[in-house]
Formats: sequence, structure tokens, C-alpha cells
Amino acid sequence: MSAPSSSRRRFVRNAAGTTAFFLLGGQEFPIPALAAAPAPAAPPEFFSAEEFRFLQAACDCIYPDDSFGPGASALGVPSFIDRQMQTPYGRGELWYMSGPFQNGPANLGYQLPLAPQALYRQGIESANHYARTERGKDFASLPPEIRTELLTAFEGGAVHFAAFNARLFFEQLRRNTLEGVFADPIHGGNLHMQGWMLLGFPGARADFMDWVNQEGQAYPFEPVSIDPQKA
Amino acid sequence: MTSKRTDVVIIGAGWAGAILAKEMREAGRRVIMLERGPERKTAVEGTYPGSIDELRGAIRHRLFQNPAKTTVTIRNTVNQTALPYRQLAAFLPGEGVGGAGLHWSGVHFRAAPDDLRLRSHVIERYGAKFIPDTMNLQDYGVTYEELEPFFDKAEKVFGTSGDAYKVNGEIVGNGNIYAPSRSDHFPLPAMQDVYTASLFRRAAGDAGYHPYALPAANASRQYTNTYGLQMGPCNFCGYCSGYDCYMYSKASPNINILPALRNDADFTLITDAHVLRVNLDSDRRKATGVTYLDQKENREETIEADLVILAAFQFHNVHLMLLSGIGTPYDPVSNTGVVGRNFVYQTITTSRAWLSEKQYTNQFVGAGGAGVAIDDFNSDNFDHGPLGFIGGSPVWVNQAGVKPIAAAMTGGGKSAPRWGAGYKAGLVDTYRHSMAMDAHGSNMAYRDVYLDLDPTWKDSYGQPLLRMTFTWKENDIRMNQYVVGKIEPIMKALGARRYELGRLEHGEAFDTRKYQTTHLGGGAVMGTSPKDSALNRYLQSWDVSNVFVIGSNAFPQGMGYNPTGTVAALAYWAAHHIRAHYLAQPGPLVSL
Amino acid sequence: MMIRRLIPHVLHGIIALAMTGRAMASAPDPLIDKGRYLAEAADCSACHTHNPSAPYAGGNPFVLPIGTLYAPNITPDKSHGIGEYTEADFTNALRRGVGRNGKPLYPAMPFPSYARMSDADIHALWIYFHDGVAPSSEAPPKNGIPWPLSMRWPMTVWRWAFAPTPKMAIANAARDFPAADIARGAYLVEGPGHCGACHTPRALTMQEKALSSDQSAQYLAGGAAVDGWTPVNLRQDDRTGLGRWSENDIVDFLATGRNLHGSAFGGMSDAIVHGTQHLTAADLHAIAHYLRTSLPARKNETPWEANPAVTNALHQGHLPDAGAKVYVDRCAACHRTDGHGYAPAFPPLAGNPTLMDKDPSSLILIVLRGASVPATAKAPSSLTMPGFGHILNDQEIADVVTFIRHSWGNTGSAVSANDVSAFRRHNARWINDTPSNPFN
Repeated sequence: MSAPSSSRRRFVRNAAGTTAFFLLGGQEFPIPALAAAPAPAAPPEFFSAEEFRFLQAACDCIYPDDSFGPGASALGVPSFIDRQMQTPYGRGELWYMSGPFQNGPANLGYQLPLAPQALYRQGIESANHYARTERGKDFASLPPEIRTELLTAFEGGAVHFAAFNARLFFEQLRRNTLEGVFADPIHGGNLHMQGWMLLGFPGARADFMDWVNQEGQAYPFEPVSIDPQKA
Repeated sequence: MTSKRTDVVIIGAGWAGAILAKEMREAGRRVIMLERGPERKTAVEGTYPGSIDELRGAIRHRLFQNPAKTTVTIRNTVNQTALPYRQLAAFLPGEGVGGAGLHWSGVHFRAAPDDLRLRSHVIERYGAKFIPDTMNLQDYGVTYEELEPFFDKAEKVFGTSGDAYKVNGEIVGNGNIYAPSRSDHFPLPAMQDVYTASLFRRAAGDAGYHPYALPAANASRQYTNTYGLQMGPCNFCGYCSGYDCYMYSKASPNINILPALRNDADFTLITDAHVLRVNLDSDRRKATGVTYLDQKENREETIEADLVILAAFQFHNVHLMLLSGIGTPYDPVSNTGVVGRNFVYQTITTSRAWLSEKQYTNQFVGAGGAGVAIDDFNSDNFDHGPLGFIGGSPVWVNQAGVKPIAAAMTGGGKSAPRWGAGYKAGLVDTYRHSMAMDAHGSNMAYRDVYLDLDPTWKDSYGQPLLRMTFTWKENDIRMNQYVVGKIEPIMKALGARRYELGRLEHGEAFDTRKYQTTHLGGGAVMGTSPKDSALNRYLQSWDVSNVFVIGSNAFPQGMGYNPTGTVAALAYWAAHHIRAHYLAQPGPLVSL
Repeated sequence: MMIRRLIPHVLHGIIALAMTGRAMASAPDPLIDKGRYLAEAADCSACHTHNPSAPYAGGNPFVLPIGTLYAPNITPDKSHGIGEYTEADFTNALRRGVGRNGKPLYPAMPFPSYARMSDADIHALWIYFHDGVAPSSEAPPKNGIPWPLSMRWPMTVWRWAFAPTPKMAIANAARDFPAADIARGAYLVEGPGHCGACHTPRALTMQEKALSSDQSAQYLAGGAAVDGWTPVNLRQDDRTGLGRWSENDIVDFLATGRNLHGSAFGGMSDAIVHGTQHLTAADLHAIAHYLRTSLPARKNETPWEANPAVTNALHQGHLPDAGAKVYVDRCAACHRTDGHGYAPAFPPLAGNPTLMDKDPSSLILIVLRGASVPATAKAPSSLTMPGFGHILNDQEIADVVTFIRHSWGNTGSAVSANDVSAFRRHNARWINDTPSNPFN
């Protein structure tokens, strides 16, 4: 039920606000400051500097800088993942995390007691450990082609980290990297909507009434973010 | 614990609950509706452009059930240990006011007449031996002719757009030639074809099939429905499935029914109310009301009511029946008992065509309910005799608006790199120049596919999780492969540069990690005998006559069509019989 | 049964049972029903009902630069309401703006309009407020206006100077009209409806420049912005008035809050919800017919004519200016590239008189804050436009507002970023006054 609001305020305020009778001007009210311009890339809050270095290197293998455009780091993807770690998703609050935890066939899905935060913590540590053991250096210190080789091995499922199969970590990383490239820039990735530009995706305009069927022509306008001031 | 009294208590604020609430208020009964999720209003969280956010919406599941509180366990066979469905993926139940009716796509079908009496029909056409021993093939106990006025009523509430084929026996338009006669046209003309749908329409016609516009509860024009409630016109923004429609153009309980109840002093909607059980009297023949957990106050509350309507999502209805002791749980060994029996799904596979690089398919343009389909291989529209399987699939282009994260996960198709070098090339080509089509098929019921309570895992309220035992069966795999084979001529007629056919493989187990569909069905089915159905043909519990259970839980088989239109018609059908007969004389509407 | 109508009746029923010693348990008094109808026509609850469960118990705040006024309790409660009033006291308050004991009322009370009401109608209102309304002991807060502004004697001076005597008002109401329904319409608009309180411009000394259609072409020619919203010109001006609205359009608007030309917002939403939606079809047609007899307030206003230039450019993917880009990005989804919207769901901007007003306040405010169409019994959908004040900066809002005022044949002055910035400063209260809980 909607509460009746005071429609009569309208003319009263008008009357009183403009009358010579009361000889008072309109009162001014403070307004919240407009959203500030986006800050330059902030240091990670969840990940350590070392972990973040891994993330930058790994994300750029998954989504590299090439003739199509910049790679994941340049689009802010590591920062995106850092921010995601501090959401209910990152804390595992969107997953059923009650025990007992028991392994089963892969097609019955994820069965570890680890939220994304822990998956990353342990996954990065294990990946670096694996890199040092196999190649003598931390993952991020290896040349790009070796990093790609390692990620390929993780993806293949033959590498076992301390607590889980490396494939699980790789899939988590791939998923979050691609989310960061293509989510609305308000979430910290997809810098200047370059992920969307690549695809020709129009973003948050969400209106195609005039362009339902263009008989194969491309849609004419550039993308727009939900909130360019926060992007 | 406190206690309230009302005439009718309804569990769930989705389509089924909203329809029953409106009908019971029209009948003058006081209604309390319990919704375990939060309030959801277009003007608040569905607002433009904030809701146009793929990450928050389809990816982080803004409108879906949070499995952290309660989920299900799943196994493929009775010999396995079922494990918790910890991350939403294969199916996405809704939560909050509007339920799945808020995040659905809007494809709005009427059940095919043959599908409603599939057992009888198969026996008449192919003989009883055609039915495999392990298949629990059943009739709904209600016919298309009986449901027709309620299909019509629902379409006029939903503002459904479509092309009729036959109205009152006369051919009137360009609709689906396999569709049965209707008593009236759709309330709105069909949605416009997006580019890929128009290509499919031509190609399917060239291949000798019979294309038609999908009936869509996306308004092709602005519309004012039976209850005086308004819809805006769909502008093909592509944010239907997984989202609340900021244009007010996708039908939802929130837009098409609830505003007509919200100012009604005898209608009470309580959100964040998780129903723990339906309370029964000592001999379990009558419900006295329900007990729920007020999640805001963390307090148990009881509502006493004359009539209890279970209108939660399909498997939640079954779960509540099992937790409350309504009806006999199903036993797969003896094939007896009814609650949990005939748990069904759908077989859905996607195929893709890559067109010329001059053709921009603009896949972000879309509407969840719109598209072009063929029914040549759905239901029993083709001769199954030589094929040896039961069931079928419509095939369609239903371009619902492809968003970039979803596209990125799929990438460039089966042969393209999933990441790294070459990934972007495949993704860009696929996003800009390809089109997808689905075989959206039936799934039959089997003796060893069912629902029961899990012996190990519990929800956050301390109650056992529901356990699903489900996998793909040979009948349905063969059906899928047959229909997908019939897509090939369409691919050729499209002049596709290349194409991939998606299909189920022999021996393939149900994979909980990949989204397939949220069209779960059965588990508490309607029918003609309490031996093989939990509900009579009015969706009334055979065992507890003041409990009605409304939803796709009533489907004895998974049909090729999307379920919502049939759920809505069944809701109005049940409501009609409650109003016409039950309220005056409570008791079983079908006597044995 | 229309639900909104039902609630007061249900409350009424409960009250009837609870009250002792009154004649309420006996057969319903048709005068009470008449009085209730008039109270709705006069929109009394808009000011005097703050808490929906205590109708007419007052308490609505009027935040003024001089302090805050609170509408008084007008239930028949003896200590907090008007229970000690005689019918003469009640009549005096309505017609003369004089409270019991001769205390002048703030002219928030539209007594200059109520003065026109017939003896029979005032009597019906009295019976309703005396016997049909539940007494409530809710006491509105004390008015927070500091001395010397709290002194009410200036009110008396104002009343002597400008308010018509009831005799003059009633005589004017009885003037000749071409048809009976026009006379009825004039009575409702000029009397209980007090439409001029918002829609007629006011002189420097606060009084409306005209109180009836025969006095001046300024009557209902549009008021100054209140709560940030600009009450539109209700006369027959083609661009900036209701010149292109048919009688049925006006009736639809008052009954449902929306029609093919636009949707209600701002204070008009309350006037429709509490008032006009409850009027009979005959009374709404009378009002519409009466409004259609007015002449334009402005001479030489050229008729609005659609101009497709902008529409064509946008269809082809051309953005003629910065405002066009904002429009395509944020507005066209609902209001369309051709500015036609999808009325009555989403109102048209092309040709919409509220957008061509000299004062762009309504347009700026609605872009900043958004608005919900009021839910009415006949049209319960409260379709909502979101506010863009947190997404768009002053320049972007100026650009898009100017674009809207210059496109599709619309005319209106340009708006600058400074204008928007000043508007934000002066109207923060209304910008942050977000729509109340809509139905959907």
C-alpha cells in the first residue's frame, strides 16, 4: 500500500518560497558529490603482490595481447578478479559448502571444501611450486611460451596439485579471466569496453527496436557501459 | 512460534502461486502467500540500466536460488552415491517473488494434444509392446480440449504474441500447422523475426519443413491484460533469460498478476518465508496448515489454513511432500509409491552454423520467447513406427540475446582453441557471423529415474536434501540423434560456411556442470490412478484432499515444448475446479 | 470490487463496530457517502492523511524555507482533531480559512477555492468528517516555524486582501455556462478540485492570479515549479497546453494517471490517486468538457508538427549531437528514437506539452530522479522510469534535455550544464525523494 504523500507541499512551498510576503529565498540543500573519476589501477586488496604477478601472467596467457587487441592485464582483468574475491562469490557464499566432502565422477560437479578465495590461494601457490620444480622459476618469471605450456598441462588434467587436480584451478582461472574481459567495466575489467568492441557487443544500451532485422548489416553504434563514470 | 489463520495458504510466489492467489481472491477467500526469497520489483532491482549486467545476472545468478542454503544431490544411477549440486549450472531454479516466472525466457506453448495422453496415444497408434518395460509412460488425465479455455485465459493474462494456425477449426494464419485448434487468436501478433530467425524460416521451408513463429510471452506491442495490468513492448534487448524485464514486456507474475493483488487487504504476501513442512492431522488425510521459518527474524511461524496450495518450483513441491508425508514415497525397486516417481527433464542440444563474413548475425539482438521453429519432428507429428523410440523435439532458432561472457565461455566452437593463441579469432568469428539452433526435446519417464530424500546431506534448515537419480536413456538419445540429423538439410539450405551438430551420444551420462535447461518435471504427477500418480486430474493430492500441488511436477513425461504455458493452464484449470466444486464442498474432486 | 475503494470502506466498517453512542450501526447515511465522495474530489487526504492507518489524522509535513508546517488532524477526535468544531466552525474553516477561535489558517488550505462550494456540499462534508471518519488521537508535530514568521496575523491581512468572500465566490460559481455539464466541470475544477492552486500562476503576493475561468486567461495557464515539478498549462494551447487532448484523453488521464499523451508524475500523481480516480465518469467528462472550453493562454503559438529529421538520422546510426548520444544510450529504449514512446505504457516525448514548457524543471527532475506512474484502481501498473542522476553528469543531462526539447518538432529553450547544476543544488530534496514503493 502506498502511503499518501503530501501533494500539497507542492503549492505551499511554491507559494512560500516565492512570496514577497516572507521575503526569504529558496533554501539550498547539500547534494552528494558526483562520482569521482576512475582511479588509476589500484594495488590488489585480496591478492599479495606475488600472487597478483602470477595472475597477470596467467590471465595474459589465457587472453593474450595480439593483433585483435590488448590482453587481459591491459583490460584490468587481474584487478577484476581481485575485486571478485571480495564478493559473496569469492567467499563461496553462492555455493553449497556443507560437508561431508567426497570425491565422485567429474560429471557430478565440484566437490571441494574450497571457496574461490582458497582455490586461488592454494592454486597459485601450487602452480608456482610446480613451475619452480619443473622449470626452476616462479610462473610469472618464465617466458610466455613456457607459461602457456604449463597452463596447457594444467588444463590437460595430468597435473595434480597438493589439494586438487590442476585442471580445476585452470578452469576457475579461465572462467574468471573471460568474465573480466567481457563483464561491464563497472566491475573493474573490460577497460574502455575493449572486450565489447572486439565482439561488436553494444553493452548496456539494451534496445534494438530499430535494428531487429538488419538483413545481415552490422549494428551501427558503439557500446555503452552501465555507468561510464564508474567504468 | 506464533500462529495465524487464513482460508488459503499458498507456497511460492511464482506463476502457479500468483494464479491461484488471484483466483482464490476472486472467490472471496483470504490468502496468505509465502515466498522463501526476497521481494522483487522491476522498479527497484530490475531497473534500467543497472539490471543490464551479465555478470551480476546470468553469471552470478542474481535471481536464482542460492544453493548455499539448500540444494539437491544428484547421481546418475541407483548404485552411485549422490553428491551435492554445489554450484548452479545444469539447471537454475529461481528464488524470490516471481520465482522462475521472473527469470524465464518467455516461450509460451500449449501442450500438444497427443503429449497429454501419450500412453493412450502410443498404444492406439503403435501398440502396447512399443512401450519399453522400464518406461513409466502415462497420461495426464486431462485432454487438450478440456484445457483449451485455460490455455486461452493464460495467454490473455500473459499477453502472448504468436501466429494462430487454426481458430475454431478454421485455418486462419501462418502458424504451426501441427498446432491444435484454438478458441481465439493470440492476444498479440507474433514477434518480428530477428535476422537469424528469418534465415531459419527460409531455410527450413526450403528443406521441406513447416516453420512458424514461436509463441512468446514477450509483448510484440504494448498490452493491457485481463487484470488491467500493462506491459511495454519488447525491444529485443536480449535480457530475458536470467533477468527481470526492465521494459515490462516479458510476462511475469510481478508484472502481469501481483499488482492486481498488492492493494488487497485480504491478500498477504510474506517474503523470506521458507516453508519447512505442511502440517497434517494425525491420520495424514488433512492438512492443517504450514510451518515456515521467517528468515528475517529467524523464527518459526505456523499458519493454519483450510486449503494448502503447493506452488513452489517443481522439485521443491516434491521435496515438501516428502518432508511432510503427503502421499507414499516412490520405490524404484517395486515401482510402487508415487511421490518422486516419473522425475523427468528434457533433451536439449544446440547446433551452430557459421555464415559468410559479410553476414553480421547480431546475436545480441533477441527476445527470450521469440524465434522460428519447426514441429515436423515433435510429439507424434511423424511416424515413430520404424524408428523405435517415443518422443520428439521441436527445432528452432530462439535467439534470446547472446551476451559476451556466455559467448566467451563457448568460444569458437568444438574445434577452436578454448584460450590463448587463436582463441580470439574463433570467438570473434563465432560471435559476429554464426547462428545457433536447438533441438528442444522430450524426455520420457523411467523406473529408475526418480526423486527421494538424501540420506546424508542436509540443507541449512537441518532438513535432508532432495536426491535426484537421473541420467540419459537410450530412447531419448536415439530421439535426439534422429531429430538432429534432420537439421542437416537446414544447414545446407542456409549456405553455412561450416556447421556443427550438437547431439547426445550413446552412453552419455547427465553432466551437472553444463547448463542444459531448467525445465525439470514430474515427481508428483497428475493422472487417473493413485497407483501411478500423486495427484488427480485436478492436481489435488489423492491422499490429502485439501492440498493441491501446482507446477511441472505434474507432468508425467518431459515434453518437447517449454513447460510454462502448460503449467499456467493447469493452474487455471485446477483453480476453476476448486472454485466451481471444491470450495462449496471440500473433499476429493475425484472419488475412487 | 476495486480494491483501493474497498479499503476505506473496510476501515469504515471496523470503525462502525468500534464506536459506541453514534448512529453508525444503523442504515448507512447517503450524506456520509456524498461527503466521502466530495472529500475525495477535494483531495483532503493528500494533506491530512500521513499514516494510511489513521485517515485524516494529519501530520503531513510541508517543508518550507520558513520552517516546517504540519497538516492538522481533522478527524472528529475532541482533543486532537476537530471534535469540538461546530458545523459553523467547519464551514468557516473551509470557506474563509478561519479556524475555531478565529485563528487564521495558513493558505496551504485552499479555502479561496473551497469558498465556491455549495451549502449542501459543505454540509455533506461536515457530516462525513463528523460521523463518517474515525476519531484519531494522533497529534501532528507542532509547526516548526520560528517567530516572527509563526505569527499568523499576516495571514489575516492576506485573506482580507485577496481571498474572495464566500458570497462573491458562490455568486461567481453560479455564473452562466453554455451547458450543464460545463457548469458542473467548472464547479469541480474551481471549487473542491482547487486545480488552480497548482496550475494557475501566482502573483508576487502569493494569491492565484485568477480563481475562475471568467477572470483571466491566466487561469490554469501553468504554475511555477513546486517540489521541483512544474504544473503544466491546462488551457487549450497547442504546444504547451492541452490543445491536442480530446475529452476522453483528459478523462483517461484523471481516471488512470496515463493516456496516449503522457503519464502523471510529481504532485499530480497524488491528486489522481487520492482524488480524481474516485470521481464518476460523468464528473470526469464534465471536468474534461469544461477544460476543453478554455482559450489558449498564449497568442500566436504555432501548432506542434512532427519533424522526422532526428528520427531518420538515428535510424541510420547518425548522432547529430552529444544529446543525441545520451538519448540513444539511455532514453530511446522506452521513448524510442522517434520520441513516440509506447503510450500509455511509456509516454511520448514528441509533442509532449510538459517538455516544451518555458520552465524545464519537470524534465530535468524526471531525468535526475525518475518517476513511477501512480497505481490506480483501473490501472494498477505503476510503471517506473529510473532516475539517471547518479549516472549522467550535468553536461550530459543538459545535452539530453536540450535534445529532447529540440527534436521531433518540439520547441523549448536550451538548458546548460550550469542550469542543471543550479537545479541540483536547489532541488536536492526532491531529487532524492525517490518514488514510493511501486507495485511492480
